[in-house]
Amino acid sequence: MEAFSFGSYYPGDSVLHRLDPRTKLVGGLAFLIVSLLARSFAGLAVIGLFTAALYLVARIPAGRALRSLAPLCAIIVVVALLRLFTDDGGRLLFELGFIRIYEGGVYACVFTSVRMLFMMCVMSLVTMTTMTLDLTHAVERLLSPLQRFGVPAHELGMMLGIALRFMPQFASELQTTYRAQVSRGARVASGPLGGIRMLSSVSIPLFASIFRHADTLSAAMDARCYHGEQGRTRLHPLHFGTRDGVAAALLAALAAVVILVG
Amino acid sequence: MISCEHIRYTYDGATYALDDVSLTIADGEFVCLLGGNGSGKSTLAKHLNALLVPDEGRVTVDGMDTADTEFTYDIRSTVGYVFQNPDDQLVATLVEDDVAFGPENLGEEPDAIARAVAEALRDVGLMDFERHETHALSGGQKQRVAIAGVLAMRPRVLVLDEASAMLDPRGRAGLLRVCRRLHEAGMTIVMITHYMEEATAADRVVVLDAGKIALEGTPEDVLTQVEVLGRLNLEVPACCQLALALRERGVACTPRVDEGAMVRAVAELVGACAGDGAEDPCAPADDDAGAPVSAGSKPLISFEHVSYSYEPSVRERARRRRLPRRKKAAAWGSDPEAIWALHNIDLAIRPGEFLGIAGHTGSGKSTLIQHMNGLVHPTMGRVAVCGENLADRRAADEAKTVVGVVFQYPEHQLFAQTVLEDVAFGPKNLGLSADEVDARVREALRLVGLSADVVGSKSPFALSGGQQRRVAFAGVLAMRPRVLVLDEPAAGLDPAARREFLDLVAHLHDEGLTVIMVSHSMDDLAELCDRVVVLNEGAVLMDGTPHDVFCRPDELRRVGLDAPAAQRMAMGLRALGVPLAHGRLYTIEGLACAVAALVQGGAR
Repeated sequence: MEAFSFGSYYPGDSVLHRLDPRTKLVGGLAFLIVSLLARSFAGLAVIGLFTAALYLVARIPAGRALRSLAPLCAIIVVVALLRLFTDDGGRLLFELGFIRIYEGGVYACVFTSVRMLFMMCVMSLVTMTTMTLDLTHAVERLLSPLQRFGVPAHELGMMLGIALRFMPQFASELQTTYRAQVSRGARVASGPLGGIRMLSSVSIPLFASIFRHADTLSAAMDARCYHGEQGRTRLHPLHFGTRDGVAAALLAALAAVVILVG
Repeated sequence: MISCEHIRYTYDGATYALDDVSLTIADGEFVCLLGGNGSGKSTLAKHLNALLVPDEGRVTVDGMDTADTEFTYDIRSTVGYVFQNPDDQLVATLVEDDVAFGPENLGEEPDAIARAVAEALRDVGLMDFERHETHALSGGQKQRVAIAGVLAMRPRVLVLDEASAMLDPRGRAGLLRVCRRLHEAGMTIVMITHYMEEATAADRVVVLDAGKIALEGTPEDVLTQVEVLGRLNLEVPACCQLALALRERGVACTPRVDEGAMVRAVAELVGACAGDGAEDPCAPADDDAGAPVSAGSKPLISFEHVSYSYEPSVRERARRRRLPRRKKAAAWGSDPEAIWALHNIDLAIRPGEFLGIAGHTGSGKSTLIQHMNGLVHPTMGRVAVCGENLADRRAADEAKTVVGVVFQYPEHQLFAQTVLEDVAFGPKNLGLSADEVDARVREALRLVGLSADVVGSKSPFALSGGQQRRVAFAGVLAMRPRVLVLDEPAAGLDPAARREFLDLVAHLHDEGLTVIMVSHSMDDLAELCDRVVVLNEGAVLMDGTPHDVFCRPDELRRVGLDAPAAQRMAMGLRALGVPLAHGRLYTIEGLACAVAALVQGGAR
């Protein structure tokens, strides 16, 4: 599970945790745009300070934050290398065959990777301080104006929520089935034919189980009076508070400073 | 409260799942619906809250007709419905969101919902569980969350559709306690169950058979009718069995459905005769009959100091150990922070043994059996099959042909298009010739009581639940294992099917297989096994003959288990001064025999 720890929820009670999930989602996107506006290391420094401040406010330990980013370093490295070899401004620093590295390339490489690092830090912060369920709820509410144009926002939110609820269960069922078939001598590494047989022996029971669960689940939802969005209320309705206003103001200030600094 | 008038219902248009059923349920009544698999109990229950609408006849709830769609949601919030599988009916990741689902659908105000959620959780004994994740709860806790989810809609009737069938004894006891408390507070309860002991708590018992009401009356009237219940794939509770066995031996005794009352009645019978410890004619001649078989032979499977941790890193384990022990988390269930799933297990299983493994959910039973064929490797210690250490890859592969493991609900692992193909999966993986595979498939199907010619070309998914489980058994037997490991082989079956399966297992043992069976039912273990191991929190608590283990009921109770029913009653009798032999394991028959001797001896 360690590999999937990118942005997995970190329980806490900070201001960031209590912010409306919609604010966090939209704010996160706004931050991405703002970080694209920065054109110099001075601008990046401002963004970096802001990011560090957010982590301090959220009280997430540095170790945890770095660990959650580790799987994404590969992306940063790939993009950074691309920039290194393709940007050809400034002095030629190094040449070997068709590989030419220019001063501009080094600059672009460092600049891009630092910028991407900050972007990922903040996006991962959004998911680290927001429960997945609140996130789906936020997506649902943000999409709801589109309902007029036939986008099934509520249904999408419901589906996402149920999918998340069943994820750990299917994972454990899959493991049981896998072990049961291994007990019957199935091996992954017994040639392509054996591989296919193994795959179907595990996936078909999983599908059968999904259908079985779906049948009862829909009856269970029926029995609890589920009938779509109409007339449905929420235990924890989302509303914007002063906190969200402050967050928006801070983001606007950040944007202004970044544009000014350049 | 609810009235069904001559309802008929059919799923396929050919046969009636319900055929002319009339039933009235009064406000505040506790009704128990019994019946074998496929008798129409669930179909009837689904009519009570408009999940199904009768084809003929009508159902009214509090005066509202279920066929009238205008009342559907009023009816569903009046009659709450709890399903069998706790994993199917929870819709949300967090407990509070799940409990709030019903009231949210009814459009209540957030404050009112929060209050309803808190109250409902309190009613089912899960206070402060609001922010827990549903998937991390035990089965019993999940089922209580499901009840809370229904209670939050403030229903007046609660329908439980085999809600306890997939729970362990502790979970079942908790569920029953909740039901009783709700009933005392005025809730009408309709409970569907296979467990006769649960039916004894009801005001009225209704037995269904083939879509018709076969029997109806108080538990005393219904649950004592052995012949009729037997024909309907049910059985009578253990205490009634005792009364009937006594009657057979000429001791007049009215069957009671309440075990305490039954024990007191028997004690009075004996007391009235002033028996003074007459000679017990039924005491087995050889009291050590259950001594381990072939104790001298080499063990087939041996565990040496085996420990297993889900947390593979040594550093993390050390860190957790240093953490201060949290205050007792839940009222029961295993501690999710526990470091060791198994701790220093030493166990030797010899050829020909019938070993029973007992222990409550989370005690490490499943982890233990998965070590036996190398599916899971110990973190420390060593597991050997036929003397070969399973840490060796080749030995682990070899072990899978020696030790056949049948998982819980094995029918959920069926996948092939035909029964023959599914059973052939194992032998084919062994790389055997087509003829050999075919011979093994036929033999395996024969062993489980199915004919390859009759069911062989059918899809396994088209078979009945019991037959599916037999096919899954055959799939493991086709590997020709020397040891058969079974995890709760009879889980979720009705009494008749349960009996058949246990007979099948006993038969396989007689054929020479070494059998290891995990079970929650102490009665089954006492009856079948010649050695029982009790696990608690990953360690072996007891290991001995059923006689050794079940004569220590206090220790068993401390770890959430119980003695078999007959033994429990024998102890109750002893506590009331009946001179029964100490340190003897009783069966119902044996106990009846001993009591009859006391009564008749005293009368003489």
